[in-house]
Amino acid sequence: METPTLRLSHISKRFDMTQALDDVSLDLYPGEIHALVGENGAGKSTLIKIATGVYRPDQGESVLDGQPVQIHNSQEAQAYGIAAIYQEPMVFPDLNVAENIFISHRGRGPIVHWSKMYEEAKAILAKLDVNLDVRMSARGLTLAAQQAVEIAKAISLDVRVLIMDEPTAALSAHEVAQLFALMRTLRSQGVAILFIGHRLEEVLKVADRVSVLRDGKLVSSKPRSEVTSGGIIRDMVGREIENFFAKSAVQRGDLMMSVRSLNKENAFHDISFDVYRGEVLGFAGLIGSRRTDVGLALFGVEPADAGKVIFEGEEQTIRSPRQALQLGIAYVTEDRRQFGLTMPMSIVSNISLPMLRRYLTGLGLIKRRDETATAEEYRQRLSIRTPSVKGVVEMLSGGNQQKVILSKWLNTRPQILILDEPTRGIDVGAKTEVHQIINELAAQGLGIILISSDMLEIMAMSDRILVMREGRQMGILTREEATQEAILTAAMGQNGSPAEVVQ
Amino acid sequence: MKRLKRYFRPEQLRELSLVFLMGLIFLFFGTQIEGYFSPRIFNRVTSDVAIIAVVAIGETLVLLTRNYDLSVGSIVGLTAFAVGKLLSFHPDTLPIVALLAAIGLGIAMGLINGLLVSSGRVPSLIATLGTMAIYRSTLVAYPAGTKNVVTHDLPEWILDLCRTQLFSIGEFKIRPVVAGALVLFVLFQLMISYQRFGRRLYAVGSNPEAARIGGLPSQRLVLSAFIICGATAGLGGFMYLVRYGDLTPAAAQGMEMDVIAAAVVGGVSTMGGSGTMIGVLLGAMMINLLQQSLLRWLVISNFWVDALLGALILVSVTIDAVIINRLRDVWAQRGLEGNPVDEKKIIEEESLDA
Repeated sequence: METPTLRLSHISKRFDMTQALDDVSLDLYPGEIHALVGENGAGKSTLIKIATGVYRPDQGESVLDGQPVQIHNSQEAQAYGIAAIYQEPMVFPDLNVAENIFISHRGRGPIVHWSKMYEEAKAILAKLDVNLDVRMSARGLTLAAQQAVEIAKAISLDVRVLIMDEPTAALSAHEVAQLFALMRTLRSQGVAILFIGHRLEEVLKVADRVSVLRDGKLVSSKPRSEVTSGGIIRDMVGREIENFFAKSAVQRGDLMMSVRSLNKENAFHDISFDVYRGEVLGFAGLIGSRRTDVGLALFGVEPADAGKVIFEGEEQTIRSPRQALQLGIAYVTEDRRQFGLTMPMSIVSNISLPMLRRYLTGLGLIKRRDETATAEEYRQRLSIRTPSVKGVVEMLSGGNQQKVILSKWLNTRPQILILDEPTRGIDVGAKTEVHQIINELAAQGLGIILISSDMLEIMAMSDRILVMREGRQMGILTREEATQEAILTAAMGQNGSPAEVVQ
Repeated sequence: MKRLKRYFRPEQLRELSLVFLMGLIFLFFGTQIEGYFSPRIFNRVTSDVAIIAVVAIGETLVLLTRNYDLSVGSIVGLTAFAVGKLLSFHPDTLPIVALLAAIGLGIAMGLINGLLVSSGRVPSLIATLGTMAIYRSTLVAYPAGTKNVVTHDLPEWILDLCRTQLFSIGEFKIRPVVAGALVLFVLFQLMISYQRFGRRLYAVGSNPEAARIGGLPSQRLVLSAFIICGATAGLGGFMYLVRYGDLTPAAAQGMEMDVIAAAVVGGVSTMGGSGTMIGVLLGAMMINLLQQSLLRWLVISNFWVDALLGALILVSVTIDAVIINRLRDVWAQRGLEGNPVDEKKIIEEESLDA
């Protein structure tokens, strides 16, 4: 067989506690579309980043046309003809199409030859069978057109390996078809394409070869003719549930909140579920399934456009976080840095912030002693490891920061707690502790919504699991029904047919 | 060292070093300028600082929310001028009415700034750059009579207010204006450290997104900060009138720079969310002491005074960025045994998604 354009040979990469990639080898041949699939956290992103020089592998090497190469950054990758395009195209909206295509070119002299640039841009787009006005500014372009501009940019740099990281995630069906046509054109011109996809039917439609990553290991790599969707899903799952704190059975309490046909334009559609006291309702789905948007809507940060929320028997329209807090809903955010904590402030101040009302004297002064007492109470209850609650949160480890956020929201005395990726980026010990806390809170009668990309966490901690896919609810699985296969099948949508929907 | 850490925070260390630096400046110029060690410098600095410092109180609240108010110089000028005209034409106006008119006028202008920023979503730097020019032009176009306010048109009480002293220690005079400013500082320091409003200002400034998700009324907080800033600038205008009496339309022009400089030198972060009133007061004193001393020092030309002040601002911001932050880390990490956070690692872990 011919030599691969790019061979990623025995790549290993470790981050702290996690072995992100473990001896992965992948061959990309000219004129072949190679699909790479895997669960969240399987190592796909890390592999791309190594191929494009963003990360250096701990072991292994990149081999280009049979020659080992060292790639230190994306400029060097570009020089070798390796380019990547991502879910969100990175075009400059104020520049026109031609300028965008040639933006990273060097050695074209200090003066812009506009007419020459337009001609060349036109030629490239023609080669790709893309019909775009090169003088049009990029701002008005559809996402698919922006993707096309990105691809044209790569082509203009004589790309030989094109890595596409979930390029279809934001595209409509029609646009996906256009993109696939474009990919086939590139294939016929001898480009090696690595396509990372979340939708199985797309992978099966466009790929010549399918590789599956699981837990940083390459599980299988087969030609299209030998794979089936069932086989791919079987390869993706199979992680063992170990070191996981399973939720203990709690008698399901009264109905607390019913959500009916919740809708938000361009985010999610027709979401309906019930939350009971003492229950953990898991939200599973792959990245881009818009689970977080549902959480943000319930908490009033980005309110829904339509649908009903019935909270303790009364219909409510939640339009702001203040209102949600008053109802007794709290939301522990996914991004600690951006949304969760006020980093330069002390643990005490962070915990009391949403509920300062409770700590005021008649004169409107803050009772610092009470505030500190509250913080102390949570420090003990959630075992936040710090010598003083007056220390700034910036200096805590990720796990302890997470516990401070939990304290902050628990201190609002919520009825319903929405947890968005509560254990992301924290170590295993802290993870177990957070799971334990969730368990205790459920036992105390809180209703908990757990959004997590960690499949095993969702399976271990949830009483029921709502699976979302691209803004749609694919079904609610009970604990018994929720096998990894069932969840993944629903989350990836097998051949467009709805998964076994169990209500 | 351990004990030191128990009693001082890095912010306090900064404030102490300002005091120390002021002492050095004082000693240095004592050797350079004849008759420097006299109560006169104290009296002059305190009267001048009082104005800058009062205006800086409001400015600090605005800075805490991660905004700027560049229009304070114009507000001071306009209120001083307007109240001066009012008193020239109606000398029998009650002092309290004149004072309230000044503050009210300031509040009105602060409200405009605040609405532009909080509801109009205009970046504060641009919004107040615009109002700075507009307020100043309003002053120039002030309709009544002659262009200037002159001392002999003003009622007696105004002139007395700047001559009288509450009490004096030897030749060191404490004037009512200075005492008022000090009281105001204490009140505002208490407010920002013990009241909900103050705490929320810090929160909005240090992480607007988290404040929003935490259910804080961010827009209203920013608006309030601008209104208070207008009020203190209005009060500053009144004090300006009391101190100088003779005013031209250029009154207090450029004062916003002194005010912001005082806050920054005093340790208020222009990124919002940190700073104390005590620091600001020290910053204002430091700047004024340096200004007064340099003006009397014949070795360098007066033109260089501004350049030196500029350098001072740059140095203090750099110190803030480098040394104070480093200290803060040392403080926090030594204090918090266990695992210090490795920023990079967390970010990397978090990017390990798909």
